[in-house]
Amino acid sequence: MKRHGKTANFLRSIGEYVLSIGFFILIWFLYTKLNDVPTYILPSPDQVWSSFIGLFTSGLVWGHLWATTYEVMLGFLIGSFLGIVLGYLFIKTDWIKTALMPYLIFFQTAPKIALVPLFIVWFGIGVVSKIILIISMVVFPVLAGMMLGLESIPSDVKNLMKVLKANRWQIFSQVEFQYALPSLFSSLKIGIVQAVIGAIVAEWMSGKQGLGYILTYASSTYETPMLIAGILLTILLGIATYEMVHIAENKMLYWHESKKE
Amino acid sequence: MESTKYSVVTKNLGKVYKNLLKDDTVALTDINLEIENGEFVSIIGPSGCGKSTLLKIIGGLEKPTSGEIIYSDPENKLGFVFQDSVLLPWKNVRENAEFPLVIQKKRSPENEKRLDELLELAGLTEFSTALPRELSGGMKQRVSIVRALSYDAPLLLMDEPFGALDALTRDHLNLQLLKIWSKTGKTILFVTHSIEEATFLSDRVLVMATRPGRIREIVTIDLPRPRNEDTRNNPRFAELNKYLRELIG
Repeated sequence: MKRHGKTANFLRSIGEYVLSIGFFILIWFLYTKLNDVPTYILPSPDQVWSSFIGLFTSGLVWGHLWATTYEVMLGFLIGSFLGIVLGYLFIKTDWIKTALMPYLIFFQTAPKIALVPLFIVWFGIGVVSKIILIISMVVFPVLAGMMLGLESIPSDVKNLMKVLKANRWQIFSQVEFQYALPSLFSSLKIGIVQAVIGAIVAEWMSGKQGLGYILTYASSTYETPMLIAGILLTILLGIATYEMVHIAENKMLYWHESKKE
Repeated sequence: MESTKYSVVTKNLGKVYKNLLKDDTVALTDINLEIENGEFVSIIGPSGCGKSTLLKIIGGLEKPTSGEIIYSDPENKLGFVFQDSVLLPWKNVRENAEFPLVIQKKRSPENEKRLDELLELAGLTEFSTALPRELSGGMKQRVSIVRALSYDAPLLLMDEPFGALDALTRDHLNLQLLKIWSKTGKTILFVTHSIEEATFLSDRVLVMATRPGRIREIVTIDLPRPRNEDTRNNPRFAELNKYLRELIG
């Protein structure tokens, strides 16, 4: 009975989405048809759709999609790893925190986009400068989330570990990491969105690969249907990568109050 | 030999907190204790008398600034039960209770068997796969006690373990604790702010005074064992409570 109710709810929320988006597309369609809007200003939904399908059927998009996904994944993984390690070191060792914090604050507050030209000078127009930009956008939120998570451990849990004479690695792997997970995942969700933004922006500025390149190419040649199709694709990539983090969160935080049904 | 009779002995134990601008705070001074093996001793006193600090020092969680502690157990293994149950929220009841065995790499079949017996004794067997968020406060604290006993440390330190529970649950857990104590034969040091609880449970009650934190008197509780609901109706129970209350002032 309860299960049935859940499925019905799920279907209804899907229905609401379809209805809402369908309504939007209908207005868009009517607006472009009734006003005779030129295609290079605003193409109709069906033109965008066929361009979207065309990107895939022509096989043109795969390389670009892969390039962007690869950059996002690699940059996100390295950035998160660095963020977690640095967050742990900052909490555990005061002098590292004192030594590195000014640079990290500088790095975080600087508009990273402004650093891209510098990265290109240093690391070339290849994949390296893109990955470095993405890492720089992911590290800080993850670092902050990790620190917050480690600071939220109840003091009696630390006392318990002391009574049990646990070693450093046991304390980290058995207690600290798990306690940090809720705030860590909040920051990873920010990080993955940042990673996609970083990848697209980096691709605008350099190279001939990736979804960002498709966007600049379509824009400069006034192929507006392709431009909007490309934007859709970046949104879908953003949703897909975000959902991957979200699913991992649901799996690993099954015990958390927020996951209570 | 001394070490075989006493579980813990403290000699002239003291704790002073240095303050930068004010005079130093003397949290504890001249604490001399001899806790016998298998004894149940409670510590009571007004807030700020350092009873929790004393327990933490004996538990090795804080360092004394003077004096020494002698444990009968060469490894000074001990179990500690905190006011809050501090269960790990991602582990179920059994995994939480088993946690010390995992940390100390002592997951032998023999220890696992004893753990199951302890869970049974605490009435937790049917909840062994429940997560902490699904448990009541009293049940959580029972898990925390089983956890402290899981690695068979001879000494159990309890810091106001039932302080946050309602009176009925507390009475029930007191009975259960006595049952566990008599089955396992542990030495228990029990900090509480409830005089009745201290009287009901203990062989001896250590009454502390404040500023500086020191021992005022150690009162022997001569109520018969085993203790049960009838103990509370014993006139001697009321007398002892009255005496302790006057001592604390």
